[in-house]
This record gives sequence, structure tokens and C-alpha cells, in this order.
Amino acid sequence: MKYLAGRAFVALLFLWTLTGSCLGAVDYDQLFRQSSDLMAQGDLDGALALLKQVPTPAVEEEAGSFVSSRMQAARILASQNETTKALATCQEVLKLFPDNSEARNFVAALKDQLKPGWHTVLADTLRFLPALAKGAVMTLLLVLCTMLVSPLGGLLIALGRISTLRPVSWLCWFIIWFFRGTPLLLQLFFIYYGLPSLGITLAPLTAAVIGLGLNYSAYLGEIIRGAIQSIDHGQMEAAKAIGMSYGQAMRRVIIPQTYKRLMPPIGNEFIALIKDTALVSTIAMVELMRAADQLFNTYFNITALVLAAVIYLVLTTIFTFIFEKIEYRAGIYEHR
Amino acid sequence: MSIVSQPLLKLENITKRFKELTAVNGINLEVTLGEKLVIIGPSGSGKSTLLRSINLLEEIDEGTIHFEGSEVGYLLRNGKRHLDRPHAISALRAEIGMVFQHFHLFPHMTVLGNVMEGPLTVQRKSAEEARSIATDMLVKVGLSDKRDVFPATLSGGQKQRVAIARALAMRPKLMLFDEPTSALDPELVGEVFDTIHTLADEGMTMIIVTHHMGFARELADRVIFMESGNFLAEGAPEEVFSKGQDNERIRGFLNRLL
Repeated sequence: MKYLAGRAFVALLFLWTLTGSCLGAVDYDQLFRQSSDLMAQGDLDGALALLKQVPTPAVEEEAGSFVSSRMQAARILASQNETTKALATCQEVLKLFPDNSEARNFVAALKDQLKPGWHTVLADTLRFLPALAKGAVMTLLLVLCTMLVSPLGGLLIALGRISTLRPVSWLCWFIIWFFRGTPLLLQLFFIYYGLPSLGITLAPLTAAVIGLGLNYSAYLGEIIRGAIQSIDHGQMEAAKAIGMSYGQAMRRVIIPQTYKRLMPPIGNEFIALIKDTALVSTIAMVELMRAADQLFNTYFNITALVLAAVIYLVLTTIFTFIFEKIEYRAGIYEHR
Repeated sequence: MSIVSQPLLKLENITKRFKELTAVNGINLEVTLGEKLVIIGPSGSGKSTLLRSINLLEEIDEGTIHFEGSEVGYLLRNGKRHLDRPHAISALRAEIGMVFQHFHLFPHMTVLGNVMEGPLTVQRKSAEEARSIATDMLVKVGLSDKRDVFPATLSGGQKQRVAIARALAMRPKLMLFDEPTSALDPELVGEVFDTIHTLADEGMTMIIVTHHMGFARELADRVIFMESGNFLAEGAPEEVFSKGQDNERIRGFLNRLL
């Protein structure tokens, strides 16, 4: 009796389970159909909600519905560009069925999408490089023009500052005071936007070279003056003692000795100059910074900015090496 | 015409003040062609200042300088003394060689470049001519083998000999030596002294400010002892050294040196 009752209970339990699972299967089929309908209507979120109702399987037999529901959900999420959520959904499947090849392949594909591969970066680089290179050429042109103008201007200002002619000395003091004491941006604005109201209209490049040239002449003027005054006074006396004029002594004896001392601070200034050229993007010049900015604003792609940084670094590195070489050459007479 | 009978250099009432201090106090001095004059005296006695006044490295406050019979260096304008125009001053300096205590060689030029510089830049001679003059001068000071090196590689004595060659390359009529051996290690004094001695033997007119009594004894036609901007004693070397023994301050100075 007792035995029979036990058998009946087990059979009942089996039946219940069987019915339950059959009922469940029916429910899921319906669920899948409903979600497909919703997807057809374009209600992806609704479909997603339905698919999420499929519970984590308690037994092996339920796995199929679970996997297909989650994979379907993952595809929906991926189509909505919710790559991270799609990945998480796939992971749910993989946690229970680590060998599920469908889920694994989809995860691999999603990860590819999530972090762009080198080919994407390369494609962006090739796309942006022509415009950036054009900008870099303009930056280089500005740098070279300023490097040509400012040492001459700086030398004149330096010689003027140490001149015994008071008005000349005062004028040079004033130039240094003004151009070191106001922002370069303001000077550029004044030259490009302000001078036209005085009847002087300048092309952007001209305005930029004048602005950068004056500003850097003022800085270099003080550097050069310091270097000249750091040369032993005996050198000037010795030059004078063999009958040299002040100008000859400066040209032949004093100034050549300043070259080595000038190189480190002037190298510093010129490296700052490479970066300061970015300011002229505000006066309608398309140089490297402006070119990068335009690309970034068009494509919202950070690669343009990274490339600009790389180009700036390449330029400053080249200049650093050149100045180190010149410094060594300029001081060769001091090496024993 | 009568240049020979005139003194090469004539200083009258030279006075130089630095603020409160009177470095040179109304000095009168004549130097004849070929004369070797040695000025000795304690530090700060005005010897160097006097020497530097001669080639206008110091601007004097009073007095006149005559070189080869004509007044040089200063102009009267509106009753005030002014330094002469720069080219006139440079022209005078070109005729007067000067050697400094600390050599002041041009470090960025080779030895040959240093010696060539005067003829090349000041006298505007051709490079070949300047090079040949400089080469001769380097032979004279015994440094022709160092012509292509930079001064940084030379010893103090060699530097000073190059400095002498640099001054000589201008073919000066008068040489001024401002303590030429004071910055040298004792063992290097000899070579510089010998070089100056050779020059003296060739008849160069020279004024030497020094603490090196060897110059005074062996070279000088005349020795001047200077203190506080004044000449305390003046005469032939043995005269000053022996008479100096009567003067307490000269005796003290000489005893401290020996």
C-alpha cells in the first residue's frame, strides 16, 4: 500500500513536471511569437521585455528557449547600438553554457565593434592626414618665418637696450615692456582686427608673422641682452685695445661668444613658439591646430586631435635635436 | 721732422677720480722712443689706471695726452671735455699695443685667428696678408706650432705670449703691459718674461706695470715707484732700489716682495 502510494506520488510528480515543462514550452513559443510581432511593429523595447521573461533554465530541456531568447535579445540590443548591454546578455548565456558557439561568436563580433581595430584608426589617419599635413606646413611656415625675424629683432632690441643713447634705450625698454606684458592673443587680435580701423589691412599670414615676430623679438631681446652682458668685460677691452670700434667688437668678438649661451634659452623659446602658433587659428588662419579642430568638429573623431598632438611632438622633437646640435657646435672652442 | 727729438708720449697733469677716490693724481710723464719704463708700487696705487688712461680705456678727468707730438683723446666742446670721436680713439689704440693681466684672448678664435684679428678687421688687410703677419708674430713668440688650436687648450704662459703676438700684429709704436705675469703660475713667468725681453732688445718702446722685480732690474731704463696716485720715486733701476731704501714705504714694499 505504502509502496503503491509512493509510486503514485513519483508518477504524479513526473507528470506535473512533464506538464509543467510542456506548458512552459507552449508559453515560450507564444512569447517568441509575440516578441517577433512586436519587432515587426518596430517595438524593439517591448520585444526585449518579453524575451527577458524567459527564466534561467532549471533543467537541461529548457536551455534551448533560454539561449534563443537571450541571443535574440542580444541581437536587438546590438542593433540599437547598445553594444555593452548586448555583450552582458551574451555573457548570461556563456555563464551557463560556456561552449555555446553562437554566443561566443557573437561576443567576438561585438568586441570587435566595441574597440575599433587598427584598421579603423588607420583609415581615420589616412582620411585626416592630408588636411593635418597642410595645417602642419602652415605651422612650420609660421615657425620658420618667426625664427628668421625674431633673432634679428631681438638683437636690435638688445643692442638698443644697452645703448648709451637714452631715447633708443627707452624705446627698446618700452617695446619689451609692452610685448611681454600683454597676451599674444590680444596682440594678434589688435594687429589683425584692430589695425584695419586705422586703415591698415593685413593678410592673416602677414598679421600672424608680425604678431609672433614682435612678441618673440621682445623675449629674445632680453635673452640676447643678458647673454651679451654675461660676456667678460675684458673681451670688449681687448677688442678695443687693438683698435676695434664698438660695432666691430660686438660683431667679431662679443656676439659670436653669446651663441653657445643663447642656444638653450632660444631653443626653449622656439619650442614654445611652435605651440604658440596655435593661437593664430583665431585670426582666420588654418594651421595645424585649426585643421585638427575642424576635423574633430566634422567627424567627432578624437583621432584627429591625437594626430595633431603627435605632429606637434614630432616638430618639437626635431627642433630640440637641432638646437642641441647647434649648441654643441657653437661651443666647440671650449672643448679641450 | 723733429719727431725723434720729441717724446713719443707725453702726459701732463693726468688725474682720474673714482667717486671719492683719486686714483691718479696730476701725473706728468714723458716717454721717449725706445724707452723701457717700469712702474711698480702696491696694489691700488693707480699704476693700472694710469696705464689704461694712455690708451683711453679709462677716461681721465683732467690733463692732456700727447702722442707723437699731437694731443689725443679729448675734445673741448662748449668748454667741456669730451672723449674724441670713436674713430679717432680707435686709431690711437691701433698704434698702442696692450697686454692684460688676464690675457683676454678671444676664446672663439684659434690662436692664429686671434693674432690675425687686428690686421684683418681693424687695418682691413687681406686674409693672406693678415695670416702672414700673424704667422710671423707667432714665430716671434715661439708658438707657431699652436696656430690652429683654441686658447682653451693653452697654458697661461702660452696664452700671454699669444696676447703679446696679437698686440704686436698691429705694429704698435708703444706697448703697454698691465701686470703681464701676475696671473701666471711661477714656473710660467719665465717664458713671458723672455718674450718681453726679446721685444725690448728689438727696440720696442714699452711701459710695464708689474710686481715682478726682474723686469725692473733687467729691462728698465727707468723705474717709477707709484703710491696713492703719485710718483714717489723715479729714476734708473739701481737708483730707485738703492734710494728707495731711504724711503720707508718703498723699502717696506720691496721687502715684502723679496
